[in-house]
Amino acid sequence: MDYPFTIAEAAAALRSGQVTSTELTRGALARIRRLNDSVGAFITVTDDVAMAMAQRADVDFAAGIDRGPLQGIPFAIKDLLATKDAPTTANSLVLDRKWGDGYDAIASARIRSVGAVLLGKLVLSEFALGPPDPEKGFPIPRNPWDLDRTAGGSSSGTGIAVATGMILGGLGTDTGGSVRIPAANNSHTGLKVTYGRVPKWGCAPLGYSLDSIGPMARTALDCALILNVIAGHDASDPTAATAPVDDYTAGIDSGVRGLRVGVPVEYFYDHPMLDPEAKAAALAAVEVLRDLGADVREVNLPHAALAKEANTMIMITEAFAYHRLDMASSKWRHYGAQTRMMIGRGAFYTAADYVQAQRFRSWFCRKSAEVMADVDVLVTPTMAEPPGPLFGVDPAKRLLQPSFTGVFNLTGYPALALPAGFSSGGLPLSVQFVGAPFAEATILRAGHAFQQETPWHLRVPAMAESSAREAQKAGVA
Amino acid sequence: MPEPKDVRAAVTAAVEAAGLPLTDAELEAFVSIYPALRAGADSLYIEAVRYEEPALVFTPVPPVQG
Repeated sequence: MDYPFTIAEAAAALRSGQVTSTELTRGALARIRRLNDSVGAFITVTDDVAMAMAQRADVDFAAGIDRGPLQGIPFAIKDLLATKDAPTTANSLVLDRKWGDGYDAIASARIRSVGAVLLGKLVLSEFALGPPDPEKGFPIPRNPWDLDRTAGGSSSGTGIAVATGMILGGLGTDTGGSVRIPAANNSHTGLKVTYGRVPKWGCAPLGYSLDSIGPMARTALDCALILNVIAGHDASDPTAATAPVDDYTAGIDSGVRGLRVGVPVEYFYDHPMLDPEAKAAALAAVEVLRDLGADVREVNLPHAALAKEANTMIMITEAFAYHRLDMASSKWRHYGAQTRMMIGRGAFYTAADYVQAQRFRSWFCRKSAEVMADVDVLVTPTMAEPPGPLFGVDPAKRLLQPSFTGVFNLTGYPALALPAGFSSGGLPLSVQFVGAPFAEATILRAGHAFQQETPWHLRVPAMAESSAREAQKAGVA
Repeated sequence: MPEPKDVRAAVTAAVEAAGLPLTDAELEAFVSIYPALRAGADSLYIEAVRYEEPALVFTPVPPVQG
């Protein structure tokens, strides 16, 4: 068979005997060997561990032991989460290498427990924030659709690896858009979960009150399969939610007829820095949902621009608290050039500013709840523009850019990034479906319905198409 | 909004208080973005938030270690 495209396809093929996990894993490792030097997705590749896990999965299948849809699936984890069989770096020379040594984060352990095959650790923005610094010795993540463009961050490696088929699923983290931005820039699906939905113990922090761990995969259905494994309370994380966990695949085929869809025009569609093609792609997605029977209406999220400011300030100040001891030392130079300047901005905010941002957050969450009382899903562009240049972005311009993702870290709402087309320059465009707290099942259902009607998530970069043939030679018949 | 002269003083004081070992170029970069950072922070002091409680959570029971 051809190398499977999705987790759902591979899971079916593994159970029908069309392919073995060993063959899948060998093919995935061949892709990594072929592509990783060009695109910089993996920091660490654990070939031997992966092959042993794949063989174990095949033995289990033969013995009738089935731990669920992720058993035997090539998978990898952002190098911000501890994994007991590989070092954790946070893509930084600063993180103490003893941190994360020999144990799994809760989310890593849950993925391991269902028999997924862990191929290694994935590149990220330094400490989930700082853009690549070529002087620090880590792989430089590049967009597989155009190697001179950014893959987005911070879960850049996960985004690249999914887009190129190195893995069928992976974990990222999201504090201001770090799952959704690389999903958008690399053209696949990524789910930022409700704050607290997935326990964070064993994951190095960026912004404590904003961080989340979420699935990244080709499709909404695959994200649902992953979320079914990683969601749920754990007492080790004081921010972990005790809200009941849904079966995220149970109703995913039931469509969007009657779904109330809100289009927040102000800020999300009228910002002067919004690219016309990005806007058009999001509006086209709205029309797909309308054609499927959704009830579409215009809504207004007041002060969304200020929500971006509050999210950024909370993120930077919480990060600065975590990093200050290291930054006020000789380790300052060990941080990437842009990382230290971004986190160092925390020195310029006052304690009162931080509390005020958290007061604004309370107010904005109440206003957002009023909006969500009348709609089930908000639809926005994920990004204001197609992927930009890999290097040379003006920091002052970055401060002025809108963020359509960070707003929903401030509210804590779940948000799903979905491929929505390509620009005239051939670069990925993305749409974001946002739900009420713990309504992941609703946005996954809407995303799945959208993907049954559109082809965008099925496209892969040309470099991955050519590597598929090599992967098949390596192991997949 | 602080005047340019005050911007440099404010940035220098904050950097020294935090103990950040900046190069001169890094200090200049912070001076250039400081007005925008402060404007962003100041923009959140709006009347609508005047009587709002902060979105902070505290529990006197420590979490279980993982």
